[in-house]
Amino acid sequence: MSTDDGERAALEKKMRKALQILILQRGRNPGVKGWEMKRHLGKDYKTILQVLSTDLKSLGMEVHEVPGIEGTDDSTRYLLRFRESPTLSESETAGFRIDDLAVLASSIALVNSKQGRIGRKELETFLREKFPRWRVDYSLDRFIKRGYLDQDDKGLLRIGWRTRAEVDEKSLMTIILSRETAQK
Amino acid sequence: MPEKQDKKLEDILRLIELCRSVQSSSVDPFQVDIRDKLQTLKKHLPDWKLIDVMLMDSEALQQLVGIIKLQDQWIKHRASSLYIDPLLLELKIRLLSREDLANSFTKCWHPIAQVDQLTAKGLEKAFIYWRDLVPMSERFRNEFGSYGTVPGQMDFEELQSLNIFTKEQFETRLNKLNDELVQKAGDKEIDYRSFIEAETFEEKAVRAYLVAFIVTEGRANVRTDPLTEKIFISSIVGQAGPETKSVAIEVI
Repeated sequence: MSTDDGERAALEKKMRKALQILILQRGRNPGVKGWEMKRHLGKDYKTILQVLSTDLKSLGMEVHEVPGIEGTDDSTRYLLRFRESPTLSESETAGFRIDDLAVLASSIALVNSKQGRIGRKELETFLREKFPRWRVDYSLDRFIKRGYLDQDDKGLLRIGWRTRAEVDEKSLMTIILSRETAQK
Repeated sequence: MPEKQDKKLEDILRLIELCRSVQSSSVDPFQVDIRDKLQTLKKHLPDWKLIDVMLMDSEALQQLVGIIKLQDQWIKHRASSLYIDPLLLELKIRLLSREDLANSFTKCWHPIAQVDQLTAKGLEKAFIYWRDLVPMSERFRNEFGSYGTVPGQMDFEELQSLNIFTKEQFETRLNKLNDELVQKAGDKEIDYRSFIEAETFEEKAVRAYLVAFIVTEGRANVRTDPLTEKIFISSIVGQAGPETKSVAIEVI
């Protein structure tokens, strides 16, 4: 076996390891932190993850980076996520009703337009113009529990960690604003 | 003259209330005229003789600082590409159908892919760990000798019997620590680990123990950010919320 073949085999082995680490749930929180990746894959872990992300492209997946609060490499969290967005019917089979997704889209957009925070009561009042009261209460509680929204003890809602990891917020705002509305 | 004094005091109370209501809602923080409010405080300051009123004056000043911080965040957010006029957005959401809104969301949604299951390797590791695990009764014998006890829960009565606390000392320290939390955190959240930090590990453990009581009594709230795993603590003024759960935090 030549040196090149040996290096390639070592890289492929590390990529398989990286995929296994990313795909298996470790503890309560999704993803793996930079320091943990370094421990498993060595100091070149970023290059390995980049190559893995490129290889996963053909399967419609990517390695996504969420910067940590300290802004260091060690605190950065790496997640495996779908590159392509699911269709509406695929989302429904995953347990989200159209109404749920519409409530979530409206909530994220509204929170962002209000400097990143909105009173829960204010949001509920707004959403109840469009959705039944029980649906609003149920969906908001569910999205807070799943980490899409974050509620503090003053009843103020903010964008949750899962939205930061899964949703391209800028695109959401642009798509909502640029959508043509039905003629009434 | 006392009537004039009352009027001035009312000004301060109104200012504190205004700042609090702006901070707990999504109202534009620039609606508070900082310069005017500071002038008012400056004008009244020489008349204050009582310590309680002076404290109220400093509370008003602290609230104004909170508003300035909000104004700073407001400008930064407005300068970012995420800013869109809320009225325009509200109108757009009202006009769009539920399907359109759901479709907009799915177009920019990239769900996390993760599997939560056992593997053969994981099972093997768990078996080896379990097989090699020393029984609880023997685990700490080397470190603590024959009188050593295994880790477990220690209630307040036990601490009293060990002379770590008397009831008076406990309550005094609890209140003192709660005051420290209120002073350090104010209306904000602060880092839990920095808060319990002390010069010695023993003192740190005592602080963590007391914080657990403060949280259980509903005087403080502990929150963990799942992405960063950072733990935050904040003081609760008034009644605690209905949703509570018990969590264990390691003191290292």
